[in-house]
Amino acid sequence: MSYDRAITVFSPDDHLFQVDYAQEAVKKGSTAVGVRGENVVVLGVEKKTVAKLQEDRTVCKICSLDDNVFMAFAGLTADARIIVNRARVECQSHRLTVEDPATVEYITRYISSIKQRYTQSNGRRPFGISSLIVGFDFDGTPHLYQTDPSGTYHAWKANAIGRSAKTVREFLEKNYKEDMESDTDTIKLAIRALLEVVQSGGKNIELAIMKRDESMKILVQEEKEEYVTAIETEKAEKP
Amino acid sequence: MATFFGEVLSVYSRAVEEDDDDLDDENEDEQIHREIEEKREVHIAWCPEVAQSLEDSGSNKLQCSDLIIAVGTNAAGFLSAYVLNTESWDAVGHVSLWNERSRGSSRQSIALLPGEPACLFYRHRDNPAVLVCQSTCYIAEDQLFQWTEKVFGCLQKRGLSVMVLSDSPVAEYKTPDYLYGSAVPFLRSLKSSASESQALCPALEQPNILTGLPAAVLSHCQVHQIPAVLYQCYTDVISPDSITMETYKPALLCLSKLVKLEPCLSADVLRKFAIITEAQSNLYT
Repeated sequence: MSYDRAITVFSPDDHLFQVDYAQEAVKKGSTAVGVRGENVVVLGVEKKTVAKLQEDRTVCKICSLDDNVFMAFAGLTADARIIVNRARVECQSHRLTVEDPATVEYITRYISSIKQRYTQSNGRRPFGISSLIVGFDFDGTPHLYQTDPSGTYHAWKANAIGRSAKTVREFLEKNYKEDMESDTDTIKLAIRALLEVVQSGGKNIELAIMKRDESMKILVQEEKEEYVTAIETEKAEKP
Repeated sequence: MATFFGEVLSVYSRAVEEDDDDLDDENEDEQIHREIEEKREVHIAWCPEVAQSLEDSGSNKLQCSDLIIAVGTNAAGFLSAYVLNTESWDAVGHVSLWNERSRGSSRQSIALLPGEPACLFYRHRDNPAVLVCQSTCYIAEDQLFQWTEKVFGCLQKRGLSVMVLSDSPVAEYKTPDYLYGSAVPFLRSLKSSASESQALCPALEQPNILTGLPAAVLSHCQVHQIPAVLYQCYTDVISPDSITMETYKPALLCLSKLVKLEPCLSADVLRKFAIITEAQSNLYT
């Protein structure tokens, strides 16, 4: 039972307990969902209730890493800030070195390598965040990747992280369609998935989208309301 | 000087003359001890009707068939949401005490402000033999005995049955197996030997122990042959949390035999408890 004290020690049943505990920290963050469409990538997050005197704008869960990549995270806020800062610097370094924007996979691999390094040194603990990284490569291909505290990353068509990730993922598995041509359908799927677990509707959701060859756009309240109303109408009309 | 029989005798030295100053020091020490004892004394204040019933009963004891004690914010939140949310409960008393962690309050009123640690008693209007105690304040080790003696001193022992709901962090749960995230929160039970009821969850395994108020209450019940059952909820959340509160639901089976409970859960009350702490924490996003 003392195998969970040092990060660099395997337990007899091959667990790295600190990494497992870091996964638990991720579950304490609010839900984030990502959907990859044909021509648009969407990230939706559950907005935390902020304290009365706290500035709403400074609590951000969706961060852009470069013009073509942005990410959402779930877990320890401070750890996320460090990862985001490093990723942003790396994106610019890549641009300066090879004169091309980094691909989504490249920056995901970079972030995952940092996370893995912290699972293999002593005196440090793993990062307590999972992230959803979305964007377009310079050849126009959309991507969605998920990283976790162990340093693994995988590409996904749609995924969720954070508090009620399991419920949202099940919803996505049931409702994701391969041939989602329309941007609206992709955005609506992300919103519907979030609404499964977020109380009190559109007010507590933040949505960011990126269309091919465009920069990231965070939807304003009116645009969100439009989608939510359309979703509710469709729900009511369903037999 | 320690003797063979284990007593400690103060031995006067013939080499040194005993001054009067020493006696004064002793008096001063005694006075300080007395002041500290008075400060740390546990006081129970009952509302006028209950105080009157205590006086009217010859033995200065209340008729009580069931005492339900909730120790910790989640246990207290569970009772507030599932049991005390009906209009049929009256606040009838509170315990006030002072220690380094519970500065206590000299408020005369009995109303529980959300989030404020306190120790309150409620009685059911239709069935006044059912008492509920919500304890969210810290009670120091030296005050636990006083607490149990004073509280149980006001209750008639015959026919009394006790249920304790208590929170505990899962980090203190010792097990040789790896606890997966989905197993938490969970319940474990302990009973006094006089209790014949069937516990609704597995018993607390060795080498886990109880500490604090739940342990003091259960020990008192064991010594005085009072049937008591305790449900300890191990949770990984420090603050009040609706999922942890719902873990106590098996206890509703016993409670519903005593008092009429609301058939549907009061989600607003649960949310009220959870939201108080959520907004303050910026650790997780």
